Amino acid sequence: MTAGGTGVAPGSTAGAGGAGSPQSGWLRVHPASPFVRGWLALAAIGFFFGRDTFERLLQGGPLVDEQFAGRAPWLLLGGGTVLLLTVLGYVLSWYFTRYQVAEGYVRVNTGVVFKQQRQARLDRVQAIDIVQPLLARIFGLAELRFEVADAGESAVRLAYLRAEEARQLRATILSRAAGVLPDPQRPEAPAVEAPEHAVLTVPPSRLAGSLLLSEQSFFVVLGGALSVVLSAVTENRSFYFYLIPAALGLVAAYWSSFNKGYHFTAAVSPDGIRLRYGLLDTQAQTLPPGRIQALRVSQPPLWRIFGWYRMQVNVAGYGTSGGSGEGSARTTLLPVGTHADVLTMLSLVLPDPGTPEPVRIFTAGLSGLADPSGAPGQDADGGFVTTPRRARLLAPLGWRRNGFTATDTALLLRSGRWWRHLVVVPHQRTQSIALQQGPLARRFGVADLVLHTTAGPVSPRLVQAGLDEGRALFDAQSARARAARKRQSSEHWLDQVRQNTSVSEPAEAAQAGDPVPRQPPQTAGSPGEPGQRGPQFEHRQDPYRQEGPHHD
Amino acid sequence: MHSGAIDPPGLTWLRVSPKYVTVRLAGWAFGNLLLLAVLSLPLVFVQAGWWHWPPLWLAVAVPAGMLVLALWRLVLIPRQVRAIGYAERDDDLLIRRGIFFQRTLVVPYGRMQYVDIGAGPVERALGLCTLKLHTASAGTDAEIAGLPAEEGARLREQLSARGEARLAGL
Repeated sequence: MTAGGTGVAPGSTAGAGGAGSPQSGWLRVHPASPFVRGWLALAAIGFFFGRDTFERLLQGGPLVDEQFAGRAPWLLLGGGTVLLLTVLGYVLSWYFTRYQVAEGYVRVNTGVVFKQQRQARLDRVQAIDIVQPLLARIFGLAELRFEVADAGESAVRLAYLRAEEARQLRATILSRAAGVLPDPQRPEAPAVEAPEHAVLTVPPSRLAGSLLLSEQSFFVVLGGALSVVLSAVTENRSFYFYLIPAALGLVAAYWSSFNKGYHFTAAVSPDGIRLRYGLLDTQAQTLPPGRIQALRVSQPPLWRIFGWYRMQVNVAGYGTSGGSGEGSARTTLLPVGTHADVLTMLSLVLPDPGTPEPVRIFTAGLSGLADPSGAPGQDADGGFVTTPRRARLLAPLGWRRNGFTATDTALLLRSGRWWRHLVVVPHQRTQSIALQQGPLARRFGVADLVLHTTAGPVSPRLVQAGLDEGRALFDAQSARARAARKRQSSEHWLDQVRQNTSVSEPAEAAQAGDPVPRQPPQTAGSPGEPGQRGPQFEHRQDPYRQEGPHHD
Repeated sequence: MHSGAIDPPGLTWLRVSPKYVTVRLAGWAFGNLLLLAVLSLPLVFVQAGWWHWPPLWLAVAVPAGMLVLALWRLVLIPRQVRAIGYAERDDDLLIRRGIFFQRTLVVPYGRMQYVDIGAGPVERALGLCTLKLHTASAGTDAEIAGLPAEEGARLREQLSARGEARLAGL
């Protein structure tokens, strides 16, 4: 019944794979980790059995009263047994959890009764995160999460390692995944952590401001005003009591956003983009080059006052998990940033914008508006092709805004007059494309174009494009995606760079008949050879900075 | 041989088997007649005098409206089946469907992760099957229903071979 896979190895998890693996190099996580992970359970046990005594202490009574003395041994015995069993379980689970990074795989064996052996290919890594919850941070421990493209939970979670060890392991995994071969003389030598440059930091004041001006705050103010009016009209004070739990929930939500986004720092290294954030629980994400499937820059109406933007990405390993706080934090590339910050992040994600003047085009994508006459491809509008004037009744506000433009490397879709969005999809990341048209759209001669990418918060859709333009884009985009995929052949991003620099000449000759103009090989901003990572990196030319001062 | 305004010009669509109309009819009958029967129950009860609410006109209007809708859908089925089409190009597969709400989808061969072939009881009796392509995106709804079984097998082999040749990562 089901057959005919196209040969893409699942790559993520192979059930019982580690049977024949060498026994050397197996390591255990830090012995304290089960306690750090399970401190809540221990605390609960302690609370359950210790509450009685504690309460008596508070009331100033004797520590052991008559009635209690008879029960005490049993209580102690019961509590001790439960505690002992829990600790024993922790120790066993710690003892049987072992991991290994070798031969292009990371392997983890877990389980005491039900054993699980899991291995994941290093070159399939989509992202690596180092997570430090508060308690782990106090003890100097960290959790390492290894993501592959399965859109769900992390493929490998190592909790907890010493923070230094975790960073070391991340460097090893990333260098192996990039295709750096270990030194044959000293194969055990640890990989050197790639140097990194801090690119931008979000100041806490801006984060707080962005939360106050978010959509959520708008509804809070609206709800608050409504209840005040209602209570004034009905002369019923009890409304305010109903507001208390709502206010508590809101404070928690704001706190969670603030905690997650605090001190957001983006840095770039040859291993990829590094994102760090968090007030109490800190997290450090590494996105290797070319792992971002789609990107959205958005601006709620109130953020326009200060010219702030938010950036979100689709990464294959992170999946949707959009609703939960942690998931949405992981798919956020920039919680709040200025126009210049957005351009900086774009230059990291899309090192080769495929156009000589990226600043003008991206600015038009962020805030541009077509000429009211509706003539397509206005020069002042960065070449965005917008909804034709004939369909202005269908989108009275958005018709001058909804549009697309394609550079040599990516497709840009913009939409929204009030809630402004700009979606960027690199050509080689498109999975499939659909053109859709309903009866009303047919009446106005427009159609929607949907690009399918891996699961995530961004769902690229071009709304109400002119029929001819949409159809041309549909054809051109499949051709572009095809050409871009041909250039990208290896999962090892370092190989990719080597290949591009060495074979680009004959490939160019072979593709002379290609309808799509060729782009220069993607070397700018990509990792160089390991020895010269730093220098090449320093000297990369950045097309996003060629122009004059940005206007925010 | 319907070909809508949004289709790329110069394509010859391959059509699915006309027998697929029967499959859709079976599905239609199962779904709509059951719903109709349930919606008619109040009418029966009111007529029998067991219920005093709803009024008779409402008890008649609801199933009647439902019947009209169902018949409308029934009339559309043959046209909808005729509107399903697929075309194999050198590098990608195109799938179209719909007349009122049209959709044309293109899936590059190199993007296919795996191919499913399935057949329900009615399809199996008629020697048909449904082929489904999966890419790394959950949004790719690439399904061709009503393929003759041997055509489905051929297409599957063809797609697998082409996918192998044009394999791409994520």
